Amino acid sequence: MTTAVIDNTNDNPRARSPLVLGDTSLTRVTDLVCSVYERPATRGWYIAFGISASLTLLLFAMIGYLFARGIGVWGLNHPVGWAFDITNFVFWVGIGHAGTLISAILFLFRQKWRTSINRSAEAMTIFAVACAGIFPLIHIGRPWLAYWLFPYPNQMAMWPGFRSPLLWDVFAVSTYATVSLLFWYMGMVPDLATMRDRATTRPRQIAYGLLSLGWRGSNRHWLRFEKAYLLLAALATPLVLSVHSVVSFDFAVSVLPGWHTTIFPPYFVAGAIFSGFAMVLTLLIPVRQIFGLKDLITPKHLDNMTRIILATSLMVGYSYAIEFFIAWYSGNSFELFAFLNRSLGPYWWAYWIMVTCNVIVPQVFWFKFFRSNTTAIFITSLLVNVGMWFERFVIIVTSLHRDYLPSSWGMFKPTAVDLLTMLGSFGLFFTLFLLFIRFLPFVAMAEVKSVMPHVLHEAGPTALGDYWGDAPRDHRAPDKGAH
Amino acid sequence: MKHAYDLSRDNVQFGDLGRRWGTIALAVGVLGTAAAAGLGFAAGDGGKRFFWAWLVAFAYFLAMGLGALVWVMIQHMTRSGWSVLLRRIAEGIAGALPMLALLFVPLLFGLGELYHWAHADAVAHDPLLAKKAAYLNVPFFVARWAIYFAVWCGTAWALSRASRAQDASGDPALTLRMQRVSYAMIVPFAVTLTFAAFDLLMSLDPHWFSSIFGVYYFAGAIWLFFAVMPVLVWRLQANGRLTGAITPDLYQEMGKLLFAFGVFWAYIAFSQFMLIWYANLPEETGWYLKRWNGGWPLVGLLLILGHFFAPFLLIMSRAAKRNLRILIPVALWAMLMQWLDFYYIAMPEYEPGSGRVPLSLLDLAAFLGVGGLFFWMVSRNLASAPLVPVDDPRLHESLVFEEGV
Repeated sequence: MTTAVIDNTNDNPRARSPLVLGDTSLTRVTDLVCSVYERPATRGWYIAFGISASLTLLLFAMIGYLFARGIGVWGLNHPVGWAFDITNFVFWVGIGHAGTLISAILFLFRQKWRTSINRSAEAMTIFAVACAGIFPLIHIGRPWLAYWLFPYPNQMAMWPGFRSPLLWDVFAVSTYATVSLLFWYMGMVPDLATMRDRATTRPRQIAYGLLSLGWRGSNRHWLRFEKAYLLLAALATPLVLSVHSVVSFDFAVSVLPGWHTTIFPPYFVAGAIFSGFAMVLTLLIPVRQIFGLKDLITPKHLDNMTRIILATSLMVGYSYAIEFFIAWYSGNSFELFAFLNRSLGPYWWAYWIMVTCNVIVPQVFWFKFFRSNTTAIFITSLLVNVGMWFERFVIIVTSLHRDYLPSSWGMFKPTAVDLLTMLGSFGLFFTLFLLFIRFLPFVAMAEVKSVMPHVLHEAGPTALGDYWGDAPRDHRAPDKGAH
Repeated sequence: MKHAYDLSRDNVQFGDLGRRWGTIALAVGVLGTAAAAGLGFAAGDGGKRFFWAWLVAFAYFLAMGLGALVWVMIQHMTRSGWSVLLRRIAEGIAGALPMLALLFVPLLFGLGELYHWAHADAVAHDPLLAKKAAYLNVPFFVARWAIYFAVWCGTAWALSRASRAQDASGDPALTLRMQRVSYAMIVPFAVTLTFAAFDLLMSLDPHWFSSIFGVYYFAGAIWLFFAVMPVLVWRLQANGRLTGAITPDLYQEMGKLLFAFGVFWAYIAFSQFMLIWYANLPEETGWYLKRWNGGWPLVGLLLILGHFFAPFLLIMSRAAKRNLRILIPVALWAMLMQWLDFYYIAMPEYEPGSGRVPLSLLDLAAFLGVGGLFFWMVSRNLASAPLVPVDDPRLHESLVFEEGV
């Protein structure tokens, strides 16, 4: 098995770069992807799993402590009544957006390179939404009454506040979780059938047999699968925009300087996609290295993702700048104070971490040297994750800590419980992701095969090849185009 | 597999037809401008109504040109293949931006009639305007617009020149050059478009502010371009140009973009409205309150139904996007609705608070004046080169393009 990586990021307008490198036989794709879970787990995996599972336990311990003692164990107090909990919620919901963008919007845009990364990004979406969902639930004070968030007929004749964006969040996030889960699972069915067929032990045969829903890869199955895939992509596309827009409404519908500004919905969406792609890179760069998937997740894929990071970083930077300009232009001294205080006040360091990580550092991706340097990409992706966490912290805490009356001014200091709960949520996220690597198809095998050059050549643009992508060949030299 | 369509079977030269269209457009433009000037003079209001009509028409065709320009830039930045056949038409529209620089000049004579902030005595008596005077003042306004037009015209010119040079040489390096130009200019483009929207339309009410306003103008601009593109292609095909190369599959692509960005416009417009309505701060709601009485609520309702719901429902299905009897009327309707959107943004500030919708023949005359002169230049651009980039290295991808689903 050769894993020699050639540079497929060249910019030759006459030919499209191949999306799978090395030996491009279909069997090899299956072997490569299945080897990820068929090989016995390595010591490294056990160590990573041990650490993240311990952190998950820590998360649940912290939640138990919180339930026993009450919200006071967090650093929340007047005037900062929202801090780490909502920051973590927005951060994790945002992370999920890259998965939906890759699986839905890039699908509709016929971006074939998405096939190598969509499965893992969708999985990341589910796990991130799971982490996000925890925070509002544990923040409500009396979590055993969480079901009151749903509008159901009850003998108390009590209904949630339909005009509250917090209720819109309940609907937006639960819809998002449902559609993402369906999309992820449905897309996995053909690959689960492959795993069923390759399974050597009885439990695996039964488990994957059940999960693959009797998939036999017949024409009729594929026809329905493709229709359903397209419909789910179309349904998931507005969710990419709507979910984080609703999250932004949590802040923007208020009258608080620093929260209330009309650019918030698209600004939050851009930031969500930005942070999500950073997390995809954070996860995929080690995985492709450790599990030998460099021929599937190629330099081209990394290059494309860094371009999306650069584009969304510019959108986020645009929003920061326009917000600041309008704060001045509005002539409203409270508005201007909020922004000057944000950048020069007691939390100046958080603001400048945010600007540095989100706007300044990603500019390195203008240069090919950084787009093709895996270490540089990995470090940048980590910094973007940090920056985007701080963005939410800055928006939430700096806007709250200077109340309208100077006598009500205060500072927020996280407690150990705040910090450990956040750390624990990362533990849960990585635990789920590590389990996903071991038990489910990490790369969408069927989809990758459909964008490989010889499949496209034989099938032509009207067949499977076109379903997953455009028709990329040079008609003057059909065999040179792809290699 | 499908073989690429042989482009030599099509007529890709605008030629005589282009000259004929150009002459008609020029005649319409000159007559429209003359009529607008005459009606404006007859109104006896010192030209005020004329300047407002001209402003709306200018904002409209500027949006069309900027929509075309940013679309061309996006095609290069994303190394798009499917759209190559359509790119030259967008280059022709973007290439007419210099005409808009010329048509901007009349507005400079009406700044006092249009913008409250242009009056020194008003600024002196209004502490809010005094605070903004560092930005909202006539010399800086003029200087900004000089920069805006330099960025837009320069970008459109550079992209169009390289694209035409490629017709002769077929040099793939030119594709890379266009890509680099697009990357270099996208940030200046975003900044200039945003501030142009603030200057031209948002500052009509100098007290009001909305940080999403630049995105709002962008959404309208690109939607307008996506409406104009299928209509132009349809007229060209009806006159025997590009008859075989542009297939229903490409119309479906154009229809998809029109559909998607209609939703995007609605999303942006809703975000702005909902957040201002919900927070209910007097400094922001004033703008909508002026659109809350008299005839304006009807216009607003028409925008909700006509700008969003009608196109959304009519071209949602695949069959509708491939059927020119549906797609073209919807696109023409979309062009009208985008004009109405700009009218709704600008004209309530003409007599603030009166509630009157001051529709006038002047609006039509100014529209024809600006539009005629703009399309005169578009026709000249399109007639001076083939209608498609005939030796683009990715042309074959556009020629074999088929919808999978």
